[in-house]
Amino acid sequence: MVRTPQQFKEMQDIEVKTEHQVTKIDPKEKKFEVVNLSKSETQGFSYDQLIIATGARSRRLNIPGNDSKNIFTLKDLQDSIHIKNYIDEKRPKRVAVLGGGFIGLEMCEAFRLRNMETYLFCRRDLPAGNLEKEISEKILKELEENDVHFLAYHEPVAFKLNSNGEVTSIETNKAHFPTDMVLMAVGVIPNVEIAREAGVELGQTGAIRTDTAQKTNLADIHVAGDCCEVFNLVSQDWVHTPLGDIANKQGRVAGENAAGGRATFLGIVGSAAFKVFELEVAFTGLGTQAAQRYGFNVGSQVIEAESKVGYMPGAKRIVVKLIFDRKNGRLLGAQMAGKEGVARRINSLAVALHQKMTINEIARLDFAYAPPFSAPLDPILIAAEQAAKKIIK
Amino acid sequence: MSKKEKLVIIGGSAGGPSAAARAKRFNPDLEVIMFEQGQFVSYGS
Repeated sequence: MVRTPQQFKEMQDIEVKTEHQVTKIDPKEKKFEVVNLSKSETQGFSYDQLIIATGARSRRLNIPGNDSKNIFTLKDLQDSIHIKNYIDEKRPKRVAVLGGGFIGLEMCEAFRLRNMETYLFCRRDLPAGNLEKEISEKILKELEENDVHFLAYHEPVAFKLNSNGEVTSIETNKAHFPTDMVLMAVGVIPNVEIAREAGVELGQTGAIRTDTAQKTNLADIHVAGDCCEVFNLVSQDWVHTPLGDIANKQGRVAGENAAGGRATFLGIVGSAAFKVFELEVAFTGLGTQAAQRYGFNVGSQVIEAESKVGYMPGAKRIVVKLIFDRKNGRLLGAQMAGKEGVARRINSLAVALHQKMTINEIARLDFAYAPPFSAPLDPILIAAEQAAKKIIK
Repeated sequence: MSKKEKLVIIGGSAGGPSAAARAKRFNPDLEVIMFEQGQFVSYGS
């Protein structure tokens, strides 16, 4: 994963300057300013082609005490080193995790592995509130089985600090909780400031507007990654989906085109997976609410089935939910959770979304079967067979 | 001899390094320079 600037230079003849912050772009003169952070020196340079890949930063709740030294966010390697060092040095007994998204959930597992009392504060009724209820309920059960204290409908309003400027307790709209450290995992904000000041256009989402060639509105400036939007092929809408796999694909296209090529990145269907303790969670496409918002006539089907033939060691029950258009049977999304065979299984439905397949087509797909891997009727096929009954004839 | 064309990349996490590598492969004559404000590159993917 991590490579050094020396490796970039030796292997690819790419010059890398770390601890250098670009502070200003002048697209008319094709110049920019860089601050060498280790020396606090500002220098001016010129470019022929520019790629903006400034990423995103963790959002912080705007409440009193939010910049205390034992409040952490987690976006990059440096953040995780800070968290680990703090735990190693201070041995905190109790941690408050704010936010039930996948960073918060993955960190609940990490904190429990360090034997810390873990409290997860969530604005909504269930963790991973963007997912379907049936999936979120499985996540909640997994949290509870692993002794994470889940607190629904808690909105943090302030942090109480000691004389060292450390949080000692967190106040929510409902109660007061003592804590030794806080992880704030409440989403990210795209880093668009220097681009916007240079006249680069933003989209509706607040991230940088782009197209399938990863261009911006300005000549010779391309964009890639968490700072820009991406086209969702299911909703046919430009969205902000800050994920590393998308950033890599956009980066390749931006790089090729900045070098004179004509590459395209047509878009995503919206796939992701994460793990909470033993539970695998994966999803692709739109959820019920999003699909309704986009005006589809939404139907859904939930089933539970074995991940492989029941008599095989390691077979686990998995829940599969399909979301589809009742009018024409087209698949709109899928979500799964279970302790085995989930994360990879979702990919076949990601392909189905790319190909705009219908529930009836999916029900007859020729998936590989042998007892160690699957069932004669794969859970996806069972779900599709059931869902087909709900399509308007 | 004409000066090499210069590609500048702002950001070294995921999108930046992918862009740098692809650009250099597509046109090996390109001068590619990538700026990262943090200590690490290629850490976010």
